[in-house]
Amino acid sequence: MEKKIRILIARLGMDAHWRGSIVVAKALRDAGMEIIYGGNQNPENIVRMAIQEDVDIIGLSSLSGNHLELAPKVVKLLKKEKAGDIKVIFGGTVAPDDIPKLKKAGIVEVFGPGSSLKKIIESVERIAAGPAV
Amino acid sequence: MAKSLFNDDTVGKIGAERDAWHKECYGRYREMPKKFETLSGFAVKPLYTPEDLASMDYLRDLGFPGLEPYIRGVHPTMYRGRTWTHRQLAGFGPPEETNKRYKFLLKQGATGINGVFDYPTLRGYDSDDPDAEADVGRGGVSIDSIEDMSILFDGIPIEEVSVSLVTCQPICNISVQSMYFANAINRGVSLERLAGTSQNDFLMETAVTIAPGVLPPAASFKLSCDAIEFCSRFAPRWNPVSFAGYNYREAGCTAPQEVAFVIANAIACSEEMLHRGLEFDGFAPRLSFFLSAHNDFFEEIAKYRAARRVYSKIIQKRFGPKDPRSRMFRFHVQTAGVALTAQQPLNNITRAAYHAMAAVLGGAQSVHVDAYDEALCVPTELSSLTALRTQQILQSETGVTNTVDPLGGSYFLESLTNAMEAEIDTILEAIEGMGGVVKAAEKGWIHEEISAAAYQYQLAVESGGMPIVGVNCHQIEDEKLPIELFSIPETLGIQKKKLRQLRKRRNAGEVKKALDSVSRCCERNENLMELLVDTVKVCATEGEISKAMKRVYGVWDPPLF
Repeated sequence: MEKKIRILIARLGMDAHWRGSIVVAKALRDAGMEIIYGGNQNPENIVRMAIQEDVDIIGLSSLSGNHLELAPKVVKLLKKEKAGDIKVIFGGTVAPDDIPKLKKAGIVEVFGPGSSLKKIIESVERIAAGPAV
Repeated sequence: MAKSLFNDDTVGKIGAERDAWHKECYGRYREMPKKFETLSGFAVKPLYTPEDLASMDYLRDLGFPGLEPYIRGVHPTMYRGRTWTHRQLAGFGPPEETNKRYKFLLKQGATGINGVFDYPTLRGYDSDDPDAEADVGRGGVSIDSIEDMSILFDGIPIEEVSVSLVTCQPICNISVQSMYFANAINRGVSLERLAGTSQNDFLMETAVTIAPGVLPPAASFKLSCDAIEFCSRFAPRWNPVSFAGYNYREAGCTAPQEVAFVIANAIACSEEMLHRGLEFDGFAPRLSFFLSAHNDFFEEIAKYRAARRVYSKIIQKRFGPKDPRSRMFRFHVQTAGVALTAQQPLNNITRAAYHAMAAVLGGAQSVHVDAYDEALCVPTELSSLTALRTQQILQSETGVTNTVDPLGGSYFLESLTNAMEAEIDTILEAIEGMGGVVKAAEKGWIHEEISAAAYQYQLAVESGGMPIVGVNCHQIEDEKLPIELFSIPETLGIQKKKLRQLRKRRNAGEVKKALDSVSRCCERNENLMELLVDTVKVCATEGEISKAMKRVYGVWDPPLF
């Protein structure tokens, strides 16, 4: 049997909006993945949980505007912990200009407001299937 | 003895004619291939007639505005007497910057202030807490101490303007409202003169904006009730709670859930106040509500009307108040942020205008209209002004204020209002069966209900059954953003510097004593707000006060998923 994709969904910092993260978590679960839902966490905790839970992907969510400060930190800490093979994706409220900045910082995919669940599921499957770096 | 709106004979004749019309006339045409239902899933028929209202008794079920069951409005004259309050939400960055925005909005004709706080403030953290730093000044204004509060309202006539403090979580409200009150006292304005509202809803802490490590539901509920009790004794013009159905809806619940959850919450608070020995009529007229205006125009109007009738009936039955104001469901409306799109953002002006019109046709006491850029950023001055103008156009140019409850008597709307009421009653019974709303929150049930509904909503959007212009239809490829986005001014450095100076300047012994007394007050289960209105004057910070409370109450990791 094929190994299920394991994904940690966490909300960055103190952002108060969980709707997007939980809806996406439910959709990924219904698409057959294993979900660890972390709720609000700081980057250190997110990385610790990801390593502990041996996930393939971390899905970060934030609508508060803290993404440029906190999301790149998660990628950096993963590398520091030699867990750079865990891919990081992001969803939430982002200004279009921020998307290239996040990608440059190592976030593999960014989903802005209005992204469809279908597109998110397909991306996650594609990213998980990709070659490990 | 109930008197039906239409007699059996008339209804029978109409029914026969409608049957014939449906077969011979309507049936000759094709309908669009879609499901005809409201956003919350109420089936909608092609046509409504007196048959749908046949069993209604005008005097019992509809009546007159300002009289029970208040379905037609809480005030006899409604907008013929005075307009709804134009209360535009604002808050970002340090208090110095938000103060300027408040003054700008007041100068442009806003009739109330609606102050929103940043994420760390809402959660009870100081700006210099390492976990808070990335969110300081985001989503609202940053408040750490009474000095920030003094800056926020500097030059604003707080004895005249009604001020809403969007202190969602009780852990935030208990400190921030105390700072607002203490600042008023420092300015020589007595608490009796202050008009305003604080949100202070324990479901916000424990079911809606939940995060790991929040206050346990019972403690959060207790803090909320402390503010209600305090205001009923000392600040009679202040609405100490605004049950935040708006936020439940934004998180994903349906229209009837939104109303049922706020009413269940109001019942729980009322019972606690009675338990504390207060007279029902002493606090009940000041319980206020906060609802959303979502996309389904008629459903929203039906929701507001049903909420008034359900509340009036249930309060009468459970508490038998003497003061009629205790039975009035008074509410603020915010247009649905969740309905805004990042794509083609100027379309949001149109959306918010429809939402606001539903709120006014539903008899709202005050309204906030969302700005067109809110799916992307905190509103700019231009987008906030456009939102305020949307209210002013609605009030001055459309004529909707000329008569009270203009849609009352519509076969469709009354029928939908009845269906809404029945569904609200069913949900209220379910919560009652669980032992009330605090128990339901402790079990995680409220959160589960909201998140399940949010998922269903998204699946409906995905299946194409729910068109959203610019998102799943009428898209523009490679759209260039037609608006300027707001960027939040430097905040963290300013707040940290002020905190550093404050901690150096204040009397450390006095602060320690004050914080110890906060913990002791929690242990003894006494009213915290009575203490805090004094405690904040020695410049104890919000984060320090929260920690003193959490030392006693502990924290709760709610079921998240």
